[in-house]
Amino acid sequence: MITIIENIGKVSLSKILPLRGTLQFATRVFLNLFDRRTYNSASRMVFIHQFYFTSVQILPLFLFVAVIFGFLINGMAFQVVKNLGLSEYFGRLLMGFVVTELSPFVTVLLIALRSSSAINAEIAVMKVNRELNTLESFRIDLIHYLFIPRILNGMLSMVLLTSLFALVVLFIGLLVSSLVFGTSVDAYIDTLLHSADLLDIVILLIKCATFGFFITMIPIRLGLNASQDLTSIPVAVLNGMVKVFLAIVTIEVLSSIVRFI
Amino acid sequence: MEGFLADHKSHLGMVSLEVPLISNLPVWSNIALIRQYHENMPWEEAKTQALDLLQRFGMAAAAEKRNPSLTAEERFCIMLIRAAMVRDAVVVLDRPFRIFPDLPDGRFFTDSLRKVDDLVAEAHIFDYNWEKERYGATDDAED
Repeated sequence: MITIIENIGKVSLSKILPLRGTLQFATRVFLNLFDRRTYNSASRMVFIHQFYFTSVQILPLFLFVAVIFGFLINGMAFQVVKNLGLSEYFGRLLMGFVVTELSPFVTVLLIALRSSSAINAEIAVMKVNRELNTLESFRIDLIHYLFIPRILNGMLSMVLLTSLFALVVLFIGLLVSSLVFGTSVDAYIDTLLHSADLLDIVILLIKCATFGFFITMIPIRLGLNASQDLTSIPVAVLNGMVKVFLAIVTIEVLSSIVRFI
Repeated sequence: MEGFLADHKSHLGMVSLEVPLISNLPVWSNIALIRQYHENMPWEEAKTQALDLLQRFGMAAAAEKRNPSLTAEERFCIMLIRAAMVRDAVVVLDRPFRIFPDLPDGRFFTDSLRKVDDLVAEAHIFDYNWEKERYGATDDAED
C-alpha cells in the first residue's frame, strides 16, 4: 500500500515540478518585460526579424486560410440562421462565435505550428552548438536578447493576426449577407455594432496576448532542456509542441469559463 | 585560466571554439551585436564599425556570410574582431590552433592582434605547453 502511495507521489511530483519550473520561468520573463535594459538596439533588431518571420511571411497562407474559413463559416451560419428563422441573432453569432472564439483559435494554431516549432528548434540548436555560452560569455542576457523579443512578438502577432482574421471573415460575412439576405452595408455594420460587447473584446485581446505569451515561452523553455547531444533536439521540439497544445487548450477553457460563467 | 577569466569577466573578449559565432546571424551582425547590446548603439552605426574592422582584415566580402560557410582563417579573424568590440577589451585567445589548425606557427595570431591593437586593452594567449614552440616561446608557457 505504501509503495502504491509512493508511486502516486512520484508520478505527481514528476508532473508538478516541471510545471512549477515553467511557471517560475514565465514569471521571470514577465517581470523582465518591464525592465528598461531589455529594449536595446540588439533586442529591437531581433524583435523586428521575429515579427517579419511570424506576421509578414505567413500573410499569404494566413489570408488564404481566413478566406476559406470565412466562406465556410459564413455560408453555414447564414443557412442555419435562415432555415431556423433566427436572422436577428445573426450578428450575435458572428461577434460571439466567429470573432471571439474562432479567430483566435485558428490564428493560434497557425502560429504555433509555424513559429513555436521554429523557436523550439532554434533554441535547442543554439544550446547544442554552445551558442548560448557565447552570449553568456559576452555578458548578453538570454532573457533580454533572445527570449523577450520572441515573446513580445508572439503577443503582438497574435493580437494583430487575430484582428486581421476577424476582419476578413466579417468582410466575407458582408458579401454573403448581401447575397443571401440582400442586406445593405449600413445595416450589416449596425447589426455587428449592436452585437458587439466591450467585455468580450477585452477578454479576446487578453486571451490573444496570453496565447502569444505561452506559445512562445513554452518552446523557449523546452528548447533550453536540450542537452549537448544532437539527438536531444527532436525530443525537445516534441515535448515543447505537446506542451504548447496543452497550454492552448487550457487558455481556451479558462477564457470560456471567464466569459460564460 | 579560469581564475583569470573570472577576474576580467566584465571586459572579457573570448576567442575560442567554446564560444562559437552565432550561426543564424550574418558575420557583421555577430560583430555588431556586442555594441548594440551593451551600448545600445544603432544597428547602422554598429554595422559600419563591423564593416570597417572586417576591411582591416580584407574580409569585407564575408560580411553577409554565416558561420558554417566561413574558412578557418575567416572564422578566427571574425571571432577576434567580435572580441575586440568589447569596450577596453581583455582579449583571450583560447587554444587558437584549435580554430585554425593548419598554421605552422603562431605569427598569424600576433599579426592579427596587431590589427585590432587600438581597440584592445590587453591580449593573452592560453595554450597547451606542448604548443610553445609554435609561438617561438623559450620560457614556460601556461597549460
